[in-house]
Amino acid sequence: MGVKLIVEKVTKRFGGVVALNRVSINVPSSLVVGLIGPNGSGKTTLFNVVTGYYTPDEGRVLIEGSGRVVDITGWNPNRISRMGVARTFQIPRLIPSLTVLENMLLFYDYGSCASITCSLRRKWVNVEEAAVARAMSILREFGLESIAHKRPAELSAGHLKLVETLRGLMSDAKLFMLDEPFAGVESWMARKLTDTIRKINREKGSTFVIIEHRITELLEGVDYVYVLHNGSLLAEGKPDEAVSDERVIKAYLGK
Amino acid sequence: MIDVLGFLITLTTYIGIYLVLSLTLTLEVSSGITNFGKVAFYGLGAYTGALIGTYLPLAITGSRASPFDVNGIQLLYTISKSNPVLDLSVFLLSLAAGFAVSALFGLLLTYPIHRVGSALVGFTLLSTGEVLRLFYLNTEPLGESKGFMGIPNPFAWLPQARGAEALYLIIVWCFVGLTYFIVSRIMNSPLGRILKGMRDDELVALYAGWPTPLIKSKVLALTSGFTGVAGVLWAYYFTSINPNMFTPSLTFNIWAMVILGGIDSIVGGVLGTVLLASVDYAARFVIPFIGTTLVTPDYLRWIIVGLVMLVVLLKKPEGLAPRRGGVSKL
Repeated sequence: MGVKLIVEKVTKRFGGVVALNRVSINVPSSLVVGLIGPNGSGKTTLFNVVTGYYTPDEGRVLIEGSGRVVDITGWNPNRISRMGVARTFQIPRLIPSLTVLENMLLFYDYGSCASITCSLRRKWVNVEEAAVARAMSILREFGLESIAHKRPAELSAGHLKLVETLRGLMSDAKLFMLDEPFAGVESWMARKLTDTIRKINREKGSTFVIIEHRITELLEGVDYVYVLHNGSLLAEGKPDEAVSDERVIKAYLGK
Repeated sequence: MIDVLGFLITLTTYIGIYLVLSLTLTLEVSSGITNFGKVAFYGLGAYTGALIGTYLPLAITGSRASPFDVNGIQLLYTISKSNPVLDLSVFLLSLAAGFAVSALFGLLLTYPIHRVGSALVGFTLLSTGEVLRLFYLNTEPLGESKGFMGIPNPFAWLPQARGAEALYLIIVWCFVGLTYFIVSRIMNSPLGRILKGMRDDELVALYAGWPTPLIKSKVLALTSGFTGVAGVLWAYYFTSINPNMFTPSLTFNIWAMVILGGIDSIVGGVLGTVLLASVDYAARFVIPFIGTTLVTPDYLRWIIVGLVMLVVLLKKPEGLAPRRGGVSKL
């Protein structure tokens, strides 16, 4: 089951800089959408606001699913995450003292088995088995079983980025927000990522919002595109339309 | 004639109590809790134990003697010699109270500030330790600078003093075993992984859905409770306590033991503690025999401990037994 993401006239300022200016976006349920725009247009800031890292100065963020609408404006990241929102970072943030596999397991919902009492009674073994099985199957799909027990310090930049994205896919999220998942990743892996995203979208109905600079790879994998520029929503539409929009071309080339 | 057995029993008891402190600190460090105020909970436990151990028996026997004057202390001694049930009950009550007071204190003190950051938590705990020490120092019912004396050993009713010492040693080490069990079960579990995640990058842990301030509070409540029990064990072992025993240098001694052993390593922490506690205790014993007047005995002991730390860290910078391998033990 997917959810609808509603961003309502969100404004975010940092001192004198207006990073987001009354941005309104309605992502329909179970759609895979792209978010593009030149550097500094506010894409990551929007992600930060939606996922709870920042509180907007104006506007609201709402999640609509199963007939209910929840206002998540100003919630903490962990509370939003528990609502079924998963987010990855533009610059990979893997936990340095954990292996690749352990990093993936961190994002698995252990439920009550993450409590102190459960640890003392060692009742987490079954859940851990399931979690490891899922993590390893994801890694195997991308040919990464061999790095499962390596630490982030030992990985190449491309692998770090890939693991960051795969880690985000570990949860049963209803809304995935992926920040540049294709950056620094080989073409065949990028294609594999797109296939995996499509598969999850098809089987679980999860909604995807993907920030990307690699437009070609992105366009093949999304149903709709939003374009940000200087903190405002510049254009939106089907991938071909949005990209061939004059204003969008001008924003990327000029200014 | 040097009493070797006595020395060994005392040394092992001393190491045991310090192990509880360092094992709990290992868990705290692994969770990103910078506990610079370990001594605060240790002292709380010790004073709670002392309060119960001295005031309660006197109150029960209806005596109006003060636990701080000769009569009171004499009376406590007499009572403890012939009252096994009272001795043991008072001891058990002190252990429970020590745990409860320290755990509650740790929880209430830090829950509001975990979300601000580890630096604030560290300094708050450090200053709390000192505030508490000054409180003990200036409060009459707590013995002020002289502190408590004559805290009854729970096994004082035994005919043989050596038997009492040995039994107490066993109690301490049962508790060390319990602490080790709990710390290792937690650290080697999915929760342990979450704790490490929290420590390295709290934001990522939050994004993974974990309520980090709440988890830190629960962990600190548990470790503070155990630290409090260690304080009770110390009070009943030494039978007298005073504010000078609870200075920040104790906290940093435990930190040295944990760092020496290798952060994240339970076994390393144990080795580091055994090494430093032994050196420290042996130095106390041996230095008076050297009879040096050039350097104050205390300073000489600190120099020796510092040198041992230096040598170990130079030869093994990652610690005595650094942790290798992952957390998942399937």
